[in-house]
Amino acid sequence: MAAAAPSPAPAPAMSPKVAVSPKAVDRKVVPVVAAAADEVSNEVHVLAVDDSSVDRAVIAKILRSSKYRVTTVESATRALELLCLGLVPNVNMIITDYWMPGMTGYELLKRVKESSKLREIPVVIMSSENVPNRISRCLAEGAEDFLLKPVRPSDVSRLCSRIRW
Amino acid sequence: MAAAPLREQLSALLSSMFSQGLVDEQFEQLQMLQDEGGTPGFVAEVVTLFCDDAERIIAEIATLLEQPIVSFDKVDAFVHQLKGSSASVGAQKVKFTCMQFRQFCQEKSRDGCLMALAVVRNEFYDLRNKFQTMLQLEQQIQAYDPKQQ
Repeated sequence: MAAAAPSPAPAPAMSPKVAVSPKAVDRKVVPVVAAAADEVSNEVHVLAVDDSSVDRAVIAKILRSSKYRVTTVESATRALELLCLGLVPNVNMIITDYWMPGMTGYELLKRVKESSKLREIPVVIMSSENVPNRISRCLAEGAEDFLLKPVRPSDVSRLCSRIRW
Repeated sequence: MAAAPLREQLSALLSSMFSQGLVDEQFEQLQMLQDEGGTPGFVAEVVTLFCDDAERIIAEIATLLEQPIVSFDKVDAFVHQLKGSSASVGAQKVKFTCMQFRQFCQEKSRDGCLMALAVVRNEFYDLRNKFQTMLQLEQQIQAYDPKQQ
């Protein structure tokens, strides 16, 4: 399996030759369909990043039950790859675990905020540990919010009601 | 109605799991998400993911503790992972035993860790059995009344 972008009608910004090497493909990623250029999506699209399969399933379900479209990835590196290659169009929010092997959610947050293309996307950090320093660092770095795990539906609805899509 | 005794069994099982502290409010939240969304199979999916995850982690920890020199940092990282997923699924007792386990990791005690691993394993197997029974009962009930979840 070579390319990760299955759509035959890529948005103009995408190079049709984009091919992600098989090693880089995160086989657990939900297949991404690039929206056609003239299709206006009113649906909120959330990119959820977590190395735990259990947590991905839970956060995806919570978000989907609020009618958000969700793409899940298991690493921050993969998330950045998808974002930078334009393989996840129109992401309205990124929600990421803090502690992950490889790149942490904090590092992902920084990269997103440093990128002129991505910096407007709200980033929410999730963590199972209530560490005040960690929380304030993330907020200082531009995180929209910090959620303690286990994440509840009420946490997410409170959060999403504040964000201006 | 053949499903009635099965429903009672399932209800009794779930009650006892809650009252014994095997599962907590987070599990209840997951059940509610399933019911609200009208998507049967969500709880089964999460429970299965959790059990696969836990089994894998327990095996990794066991291997680490067998090494001549134990890397307590690595053990702790795995216990942290297990604690996280048990919290997310609502597996309260497993979560608590993980918290105790982490103490032994901090103390760098191999014996303590081995003991804690045995406790975690037992708690996990107990919970897994009950989850399996729960899922079987749900499937049987569904077979009698497919519209019901």
